[in-house]
Amino acid sequence: MANSANNRSGPDHALWLVIVGLAAWAVPGAGHFLIRERKRGVILFVCITALFCTGLYIGSIGVVNRVASWPWFLAQIFFSPAVGILSKLTQNGQFPTYGRPCDIGQIYTGIAGLLNLLCILSSVYMAYCGRGELIGAEEDESA
Amino acid sequence: MPDFSAMLASFTTPESIGTTPQSLLWMFPLLAAIALVYKATKMRVLFMRKYLLDSLLLFMTISVFLIAAIIVLNLVDWLITS
Repeated sequence: MANSANNRSGPDHALWLVIVGLAAWAVPGAGHFLIRERKRGVILFVCITALFCTGLYIGSIGVVNRVASWPWFLAQIFFSPAVGILSKLTQNGQFPTYGRPCDIGQIYTGIAGLLNLLCILSSVYMAYCGRGELIGAEEDESA
Repeated sequence: MPDFSAMLASFTTPESIGTTPQSLLWMFPLLAAIALVYKATKMRVLFMRKYLLDSLLLFMTISVFLIAAIIVLNLVDWLITS
């Protein structure tokens, strides 16, 4: 236990936290998957991705637009860096969206981004607390 | 392959949803996702049955609160405008 506490203060552990955070941002749920919280990772991936895709389906990909609707984009970008690429496609206005579908699409995609921010923080905190080492080891032993 | 293209194309045009009271029903899938994700991050150990029950309870709580808020706001609106 003392050894694990020492490991948590080293540069390797800081790098590990950064990797977990970046993975969680790149793919929703991947941060939890890395720290061996696999069931949690799969649930988060399915829920957040389904929410984001539903938002895109309802409002079209035009709801992601960092020029016309930048406040929403600030929330959407937390879903994944891929949202930035999507925004490059839509910023010249070739995918018009309007009215209630636009509202619902923006709310869905924005909330999906913010939920992924919650997951990023959760996975980094769990990695900081050594959850992967403890619970993952128990899972490996029982398997 | 054409099916896949058609599926991708459906993401380039918005769906037709009117500004009607029925459009408020779109809040329920959102609430379900919020409840599932929140409980997945909050629970220390995931026991599937307890996780689903807790998520359902949170979903119902938020839904009831929002419906109550809608009723109160409509009552206030009715009192002001009548």
